[in-house]
Amino acid sequence: MSYLEYNLKTVPSGPTKIFYINWALLLLISAVAGVGVLMLYSVAGGSFSPWAGQQMERFAMGVVLMFVVAMIPIWFWRNIAAVAFGFSLILLLYVEFFGVVGMGAQRWINLGFMRLQPSELTKITLVMLLAAYYDWLPQDKVSRPLWVLIPLLLILAPVFLVLTQPDLGTSILLTAGGGIMMFLAGVHWLYFAVVILIGVALIYAVLVSRGTDWQLLNDYQYRRIDTFIDPSTDPLGAGYHITQSKIALGSGGWTGRGFMQGTQSRLNFLPEKHTDFIFTTLAEEFGFVGAFSLLVLYALIILFCIISAMRMKDRFSSLLTLGIAATFFLFFAVNMSMVMGLAPVVGVPLPLVSYGGSAMLVLMAAFGLVQSAHVHRAR
Amino acid sequence: MIRTPLRPLARVLKARQTGENPDAIERENIRLRHEEMRDKARLRAQGRLLVLSVFFLGAFMTVGARMGHLAASEPMEPQARASGSQILAQRADIVDRNGRILATNLETHALYAQPPIMIDKEKAARELAVIFPDLDEKELLEDFTGKREFLWIKKKLSPEQKQAVHDIGDPGLLFGTREMRLYPNGSLAAHILGGASFGREGVHSAEVIGVAGVESRFDEFLRDPVNEGAPLELSIDMTVQAAAERVLSGGMKLLNAKGAASVLMDVHTGEIISMVSLPDFDPNIRPRPPTEGEPGDSPIFNRAVQGLYELGSTFKIFTSAQALELGLVNPETMIDTKGPMVVGRHRIRDFRNYGPELSVTNVIVKSSNIGTAHMALDIGAKRQQDFLRSLGFFEPTAVELTEGPGAQPLLPRQWKDISTMTISYGHGLSASPLHLAAAYSSLLNGGTKITPTLLKRVTPQNGPRIISEQTSKLSASMLRQVVTKGTASFGEVPGYHVGGKTGTADKPLTNGRGYYDDKVISTFASVFPAHDPKYVLIVALDEPTETSGPKPRRTAGWTAVPVASEMTRRMAPLLGLRPEIAPAAPAKVTLTSN
Repeated sequence: MSYLEYNLKTVPSGPTKIFYINWALLLLISAVAGVGVLMLYSVAGGSFSPWAGQQMERFAMGVVLMFVVAMIPIWFWRNIAAVAFGFSLILLLYVEFFGVVGMGAQRWINLGFMRLQPSELTKITLVMLLAAYYDWLPQDKVSRPLWVLIPLLLILAPVFLVLTQPDLGTSILLTAGGGIMMFLAGVHWLYFAVVILIGVALIYAVLVSRGTDWQLLNDYQYRRIDTFIDPSTDPLGAGYHITQSKIALGSGGWTGRGFMQGTQSRLNFLPEKHTDFIFTTLAEEFGFVGAFSLLVLYALIILFCIISAMRMKDRFSSLLTLGIAATFFLFFAVNMSMVMGLAPVVGVPLPLVSYGGSAMLVLMAAFGLVQSAHVHRAR
Repeated sequence: MIRTPLRPLARVLKARQTGENPDAIERENIRLRHEEMRDKARLRAQGRLLVLSVFFLGAFMTVGARMGHLAASEPMEPQARASGSQILAQRADIVDRNGRILATNLETHALYAQPPIMIDKEKAARELAVIFPDLDEKELLEDFTGKREFLWIKKKLSPEQKQAVHDIGDPGLLFGTREMRLYPNGSLAAHILGGASFGREGVHSAEVIGVAGVESRFDEFLRDPVNEGAPLELSIDMTVQAAAERVLSGGMKLLNAKGAASVLMDVHTGEIISMVSLPDFDPNIRPRPPTEGEPGDSPIFNRAVQGLYELGSTFKIFTSAQALELGLVNPETMIDTKGPMVVGRHRIRDFRNYGPELSVTNVIVKSSNIGTAHMALDIGAKRQQDFLRSLGFFEPTAVELTEGPGAQPLLPRQWKDISTMTISYGHGLSASPLHLAAAYSSLLNGGTKITPTLLKRVTPQNGPRIISEQTSKLSASMLRQVVTKGTASFGEVPGYHVGGKTGTADKPLTNGRGYYDDKVISTFASVFPAHDPKYVLIVALDEPTETSGPKPRRTAGWTAVPVASEMTRRMAPLLGLRPEIAPAAPAKVTLTSN
């Protein structure tokens, strides 16, 4: 069932649309961003420069962007989904050949006033495209092999481009996000079972083959796996990040050391303290209570998205909303498990909190889409 | 799947009987079926959403539980000493073949200031200016009182300076640890090591990156923590390297040369035991590349690897070896040496007239250009090229230096017959001394290809065969005779059976048309012991002049050869070779009977 079938008269229109915005969601997002600014202020040693001030500006820009996107009808976004995806693929290809190399990877296009990271943009356009695809595809064809192959290729194309940058974190997010979209669209569970089985078998083969003649990885790669499993074997090398952030969490205790009293992050034990590892500052300064509160805020954002999606009647809107919620979830789930040593270190920022322009703007645009779906749903 | 028919016959008949429209039944059934499908889809979507929600919830709970677990764990205080000093010493050491340190790390400190938390800015500025005379008190004070919240004052501090700054006692003056690359032996093996500098810099640490030589070539290896501090083992022997540098620089000064290079190579493993390029520099304070003048005259230029020179008569042995290998000649075959030899517009001359003909051995011993050119004509351009290519003269050496791949030998654009002849005695093809060392090693180790390496290895290379063992033996014996009765008579070192070939090549004019008549590259390529070759030593001097005689002498026999022989005299014992001196005839004992 698509948007053409419901009664358009019940969809709000005109300037009063603005009152139909999901205000609770906006409030939650602002709260999380506020935590981010607070942390950046603290990490910089009680100063708005260099990070906190700029982060505030970007958030303000993001809110404006969100409203603009939200006011444009959701069916417009549905219609340009394929174009948007194609555009982001072209940008990815462009970065591949002409991008700015930073921190050992080629990820940015320099626009002058900001550095655009096309891989961030791709996360959203991929979700848009998959939602539009499953909206267009008749229900009974969803699980046919050919119709499963197409979205698979659509997911793998940007993943491949991002992997060559190289950016492992983003390619994991893209793959998992796309997978969740396919799962929500109702692709038969056998496909997922097969993929998971193959994955498990591969990991098993890699581990079993160690030390034999046919081992699949190099020795040093195995040692990196060892370091992940037990960081204390190499506390000053590859295990450094994890060990240090665990120390930060541990020294925060239940209630924390107090605002601006963190030692681990302020004393520069942690690299990337203002980006990927900002969560440790929060955990140290506000302890378990603070960290858990942030977790609850995130959970509420996801919950509100799910509730909003369940009330939408057309497939594109609900799939899009859920897909964006899932992407958001993956962001902070991967980041938090990395910081807490539940997963290996891959570069994924904490959404809305970590310092970073592209990620913030793209996320706010994505929430704009969620709002647009919310505003333009049939009532 | 069994479907209910859209037009069930029984109901249609019944409807007809009662006069109702039978199509209504179909519409009704279609509507029901659609609803059913929609419900199914909705149910499935809700199921999927439920599964996902459960997964999300699980993830949330895992993260929350982990948080609680970590928060409850005993806070382990960070240990500044352990995490401060060792994390910095990440770049691996570089050692010589016996494990002696060539490059290591030194911990030093950088000084920076955070003006917002400084107490007495005037006092701090005043005292800093006393400790560091190059700093200006007024400028410092301006920086401290201005808007800046952070500024670097000094990048490297000595321990005394650090203590003095400590004594100022201002909390806004802070230190950041720095790992500094240290080359304890100063300029020893400078061109091989290259040098390192700071890359990205943070307050508490700075990245050290290699900028040249093995430091740059193995940058990733040296920085990779996976190696767990295992040092990079080079093939260089520090003692031999020191001796070589000492003697070569003495020889260079004595002969007024503007540069010199030497390579000592193990003929079986291809290891470079010592490699010198003079003038050199101290990698601790590596000079910047020159912006004017010949880059080839700069101290950071590695003459042994990057320098491409016409290596002159040292090439003749390749021609004779190939002629022997092809069966065109044997060592006793007489070769026409009537001069001058006229080829088109060119004339080939010898240093002096050697008569109408010489045996192949004597062509090498006396270094006859004409004789060599005749042999080269018999070999032909194609076969000559193939042979020189197999010796590695057509491409840059594979030596593990960043500078290596840039040294592409200069070959004639068109390989005419005249090129074949001039290249047979080393003119018209420019290669580096390292190329020559590798080619001599390949020729003399029994005839298998050698690829030069700077990394320690134990086993012989066993490369593809280039010439037979027989030819290799004959070539070594010819080289020996060059020293015993030929142009390199100063090359003899008692007990070490040196063999070798001299080469003197006029330097090409900088405008590329013709040659200087008073500037030469003089080269001596030697091997010892000649009866069982173990090492090849190449010595090349740039523009040497020997002035002890009435006229200045520049030929290799008077310049490169004596330097090389002195180097061999010093290095051979260090390499563990024992002099083999024929025992003196036993004293005559007269048996007398009483």
